[in-house]
Amino acid sequence: MNLQTLISIRNICAIALCLWESSAKTVTYDFNVTWVTANPDGLAERKVIGINGHWPLPIIEVDKNDRLVVNMYNGLGDKDTSVHFHGMYQNGTNSMDGLSMVTQCPVPPGSSITYNFTVPQNGTYWYHCHTDYCYPDGYRQALIVNDANAYFYDQYDEQFTITLSDWYHEMMTEIAPDFISPYNPAGAEPIPNAFLFNDTMNTSIPVQPGKTYLVRLINTSAFVAQYFYIEDHTFDIVEIDGIYTEPTQASTLYIHVAQRYSILLRTKNATDQNYNIVTVADQVLLDVVPSHLVLNHTNWLEYNSSAPKTQANVTLDIVSGLPAFDDFTLVPYDKQPLLPDPDYTINLQVAMRELANGLPYAFFNNITYTRPDVPTLYTVLSSGDLATNAAIYSQYTNPFILPKNAVVDVIVNNADTGSHPFHLHGHNFQVLARFPSYGPSFYAYKSPTSSGVSYDPNNHPAFPSFPARRDTLVMPPRGYFVIRFIADNPGVWMFHCHIDWHLEQGLAATFIEAPLELQAQLSIPADHLAACEARGIKTTGNAAGNVEDFLDLRGENKQAGFIPYGKFTAKGYVAMGVSVSSACAGILCLAVYGMSDGKGGKKSGGGGAGALVTSREKLT
Amino acid sequence: MHKYFALTIFFIVFRECIEAIIIISTLLSLLKQSLGQPGQDRRIHCRIVKQLWAGVVAGIVLSIIIGVTFAVIFHRFGKNLWAKAEDLWEGIFYAIATFFITIMGLGFLRLNKSQEKWRVKISKALVDQKRKKGVWAWLGSWAARYVMFVVPLMTVVREGVECVVFVGGVSLGSPASSYPLPFLAGLLAAVAIGFLMYKGGNRLSIQIFLIISTSFLYLIAAGMLSKSVWSLQYQHFQKKVGSDVAEAGDGPGSYDVRQTVWHVDCCNPETGRGWDVFNALLGWQNTATYGSVIVYNVYWLFIILLVGSLLYEERWGPLPLKTKILGFLLRVPVLKIYVRHKMKANIGHQEADDLVRQVQEHLREVHEGQQGSEDIFVAQESVGGEMFEMEERRGVTLTEESVARI
Repeated sequence: MNLQTLISIRNICAIALCLWESSAKTVTYDFNVTWVTANPDGLAERKVIGINGHWPLPIIEVDKNDRLVVNMYNGLGDKDTSVHFHGMYQNGTNSMDGLSMVTQCPVPPGSSITYNFTVPQNGTYWYHCHTDYCYPDGYRQALIVNDANAYFYDQYDEQFTITLSDWYHEMMTEIAPDFISPYNPAGAEPIPNAFLFNDTMNTSIPVQPGKTYLVRLINTSAFVAQYFYIEDHTFDIVEIDGIYTEPTQASTLYIHVAQRYSILLRTKNATDQNYNIVTVADQVLLDVVPSHLVLNHTNWLEYNSSAPKTQANVTLDIVSGLPAFDDFTLVPYDKQPLLPDPDYTINLQVAMRELANGLPYAFFNNITYTRPDVPTLYTVLSSGDLATNAAIYSQYTNPFILPKNAVVDVIVNNADTGSHPFHLHGHNFQVLARFPSYGPSFYAYKSPTSSGVSYDPNNHPAFPSFPARRDTLVMPPRGYFVIRFIADNPGVWMFHCHIDWHLEQGLAATFIEAPLELQAQLSIPADHLAACEARGIKTTGNAAGNVEDFLDLRGENKQAGFIPYGKFTAKGYVAMGVSVSSACAGILCLAVYGMSDGKGGKKSGGGGAGALVTSREKLT
Repeated sequence: MHKYFALTIFFIVFRECIEAIIIISTLLSLLKQSLGQPGQDRRIHCRIVKQLWAGVVAGIVLSIIIGVTFAVIFHRFGKNLWAKAEDLWEGIFYAIATFFITIMGLGFLRLNKSQEKWRVKISKALVDQKRKKGVWAWLGSWAARYVMFVVPLMTVVREGVECVVFVGGVSLGSPASSYPLPFLAGLLAAVAIGFLMYKGGNRLSIQIFLIISTSFLYLIAAGMLSKSVWSLQYQHFQKKVGSDVAEAGDGPGSYDVRQTVWHVDCCNPETGRGWDVFNALLGWQNTATYGSVIVYNVYWLFIILLVGSLLYEERWGPLPLKTKILGFLLRVPVLKIYVRHKMKANIGHQEADDLVRQVQEHLREVHEGQQGSEDIFVAQESVGGEMFEMEERRGVTLTEESVARI
C-alpha cells in the first residue's frame, strides 16, 4: 500500500468522522513539564520549563471545532504550574481556563491535571502557564486554530507563525524577590536581557516569490511590546486576537504582550534580494535601557539564500509617539454592530504605588488583587445562593458580579504613566473608545506632572458602528479606554494587565459572570480537586476558606495599608514633640551651665583679661 | 545656605581664633605686668611686644600656607572619592563633625576659665623651657631670648592647623564656595569678642552671647548626628534600590516607608527653598526615620547628662564614683601616665599664682638685665627647685585637689 492510498484512506476516514462527529476531531497532547536547559539568545544558558524534554515548546495546532485535550504532568519538582489557553472562550468549561487560584489550584510537582474543551473559534492564540512567576521561565507557545472556512482561506498559499518574546537570563525565582521588594518601591519592572524571534535570533524565513503567506504574529513576552515591520513590504491585517477583520493594509504593527495579529503578506516577484524583518522592542516601557541590551533585531524574509543579509537601519521614532497601525480602526469581518447600551458598567481606575509594607503594588480602584484562600470558581460552586454576593469573594480580589446576558461596559481610566495591555478572559470585547489613540499623541499625557484624561460618559467621541473586537487591548499612559461585551459566558473571568510583573503586583479584577447558571452547568473534574488536595488548598468555602458562614471573611488575605503620605501622623507629632522638648531641655541645661561662672560655690576668680590684669597688678 | 555659608565652619573658625586671641591677650597682659610697669624701660617692653606681634603675623602666614595646601589636597584627591557615594560620606562626615563640636562646644561656655588656664599653661611652658640640656639647652637659650616670638607663633600655627583639620573634617561634604564667607565671619566675630574680653567689656553680655552661640552649636551638632544616621540609612536604601530613588523625588518610593516616622511631601531640604537652612541648623528632614529621631533625642540626653555632671562637679566636687575610678586607673600601667599627667596639669590657685610670679620675675631678669645664659640657668634652677619643693610639701593634699579638678 503506497503513501497515496494511505492518505486517501485517511481522508475518507476523516470525512466519515466529520460526518459522524459534525466535522470535529479530538487533538490530544501529553505534556510532561520538566526543567531543561536552553540558550536561545546565545548569551547565557539557563534552565527553562520544557515539555517532554524539549524547548522551544510544541505549537498546539487544532482545527476549528476540534476538541483539545492536554494532559499535563508537573515534573518540575520545585514549582507549581498550570496552563491557560489564552483567548479560548471556554464557554461551559470555565474550569479549563487554567488560572491558579481563580479557576483551579496551582498544580504542585508530581501532580497531573487534564484540560479538556472544544474550540469553537478560530485564529491565533497562545498557551502559557498562569501561575505566579511562571511563564517567563519559558512556559509559553503559540496555539493555532486553523479554519478552512476563513474568508481569506483561499487567498494564501502557506502560513507561518512568528512569536516575539522578551527573555531573561535569570530564573523567576531569582528575579521575583528583587521585584516585589522594599528596595524596589517604584515597582521598576525587571529589564529583559534579550528579545527573541521564534524563540531564537537571526533567523531566515524562506519564501517563494509572487506568493501570499498568512503570517501569524504573537507577542508571548512577559513585559515588553514590540514593533514589527518588513522593509519594503506592506501587508493586510486579517485577524486580531482571533477575530477576523476586513483586510486592512498596514506596514508597521505594535504588538503588546499577549496580542496577536494575522497578516496576509504578498511576496515580491523578484528574488534578487532578501528583506529585513525588523522588530523593535518598545524601550518606553523600560525604566532604564542597559547599554548591552539590543532593542532592534533583524531577521530575514529570504527570497534568495545566496543573496546578502544586512542589518536593518531602524529610523522608527518610537519614543515621542506610537508610529504603528491603530487597531482601534479595524472593522471585524462579521460586521458585528455596536452592542446596545450597557446594563452594567464597571469603572476601573489604574494606579501603581507603594503600600505601607514598603512593597510596590498595582491597583484597580485602590485595591490590589490579593489571592484568595480558595479558588474563586470553587467559592462560586460551594456558596449556593450567596454566589451572587460579591463580598464572599473578598473585596481584595476586586470581584464584580455580572448578570447573565447583561451588556457590560468596562471603563478603565489609567492614572499610571505607563501603558498596559489589558486582557479579559473568556471573551472578546468591542473597543468603543480609547484615548490618546496610537500615533504621535499616544504619549501626550505620559509626563508625571500631567493629570491625564479621564473618560467622560456624557461627552465622548461617537462609538464606532462596527467596533474592533479583541481580547487584549493596549491602555495609553494617563488615558482611558471603554470596552463592551455580553455576559453570555457563565464563569469566573479575570480582567488583568498581561505584563506578568503587573499581574504579580495585583493589577487584576475578577468578573464573576452569571454565577448561579455556572453552578447549574459546571462540575469540577476529580483530577482538578486532587491537585488542590495535593497542594493543601481548600476546594469549598469563601475567599477566606470559611465554609460555615460565607459572609464571615475573617482570616482573608488582605492588602497592606496605605502610606499616610504627605502629612504628619500621630507618630510624627509625638516624635517631633519629643525631639523639640529634648532640644529645649538641652539648651536650658547649657544656659544654666553657661551662666554659672564656673567656680561653683567657691570663691569667684578668673574673669576677663581686664580682670586678670588688675588682679596681677595687685600681686606685683 | 549650604552653598555659601557652612555654619560649622563659622563656629570652628570662631572658636579656634578666639582661643588664639586669648593666648595672645594673656601674653600681652603678662608682658605688661612684667615689663610695662611705670618706672621700667619702655623701649624693652616695646621691643618685646613687637616681637610678639611678629610671632603672631608669622603664625598667621604659616597657618594660611598650611591651610591652603590642605584644602587643595582635600579637594583635589577627595572629591572623586566621595562624589560617588555622597550620602555615605555625608553620614560619616556628619558623625565626625558632631564629635568635634561636642568636644569643643562646652569649652565655649568656659572661655573665661580658659584664660586662667592659659595663663598657667604659658607660665609653665616658659619655666619648663629652662630645664632642657645639650642641644635643647642651646635651642632653649635662643628660644628664651625670643620666647615672645616663638610662643605666639606656635600658638597661632597650632590653632591654625587645628582649624584646618576641624574644618576639613566637618565640611568635606560642602562645596568649596561655602568656605570663605563663614571663615571670614568667624574670624571677625572672634576678633570682636577677643577685643571685648581684653578690654574687660560687659562680661554678662559676652556670656549671653557665648551661651546663645553654644546652644546653636549643639543644635547643629544634634541635627548633624541625626542627619548622619539618616544619611547612612538613606545610603543603604539607595544602594539597594538603585537609580530609581532619585527619579522618585519626594514621592512614594523615594524613601523606605518601613523606617519612616513621618514623611511630608513639602519642605524637602534638597529641593525646598529655605528648608536647607532649617536642615543645616536643626537637621530637619522631610522624611524622619526611627534611627534619626532616636539618635537626635539620645544626643540631647547625653548633652544634658554631661552638662549636669559638670555642674555637679563645679558645685559639689567630684562625682560620687570619680575618685574611685581614677584611683583604679592609677593602678593600670598605661593609663597611669595619662591620669598623672592630667592631675599635674590641674594645679591649685596658689601654685598658679606663684608660677606666674616666677615667670614675671624671670622675664624681667632676662630682658632688663640682658644677662648671659648662665644667669638664666641659675634662675631656672632655682625656679625648678622651688617647684619641686612646693610639690613635695603639699604631698597628698595636692593629689586630692588635682583629682577634684580633672
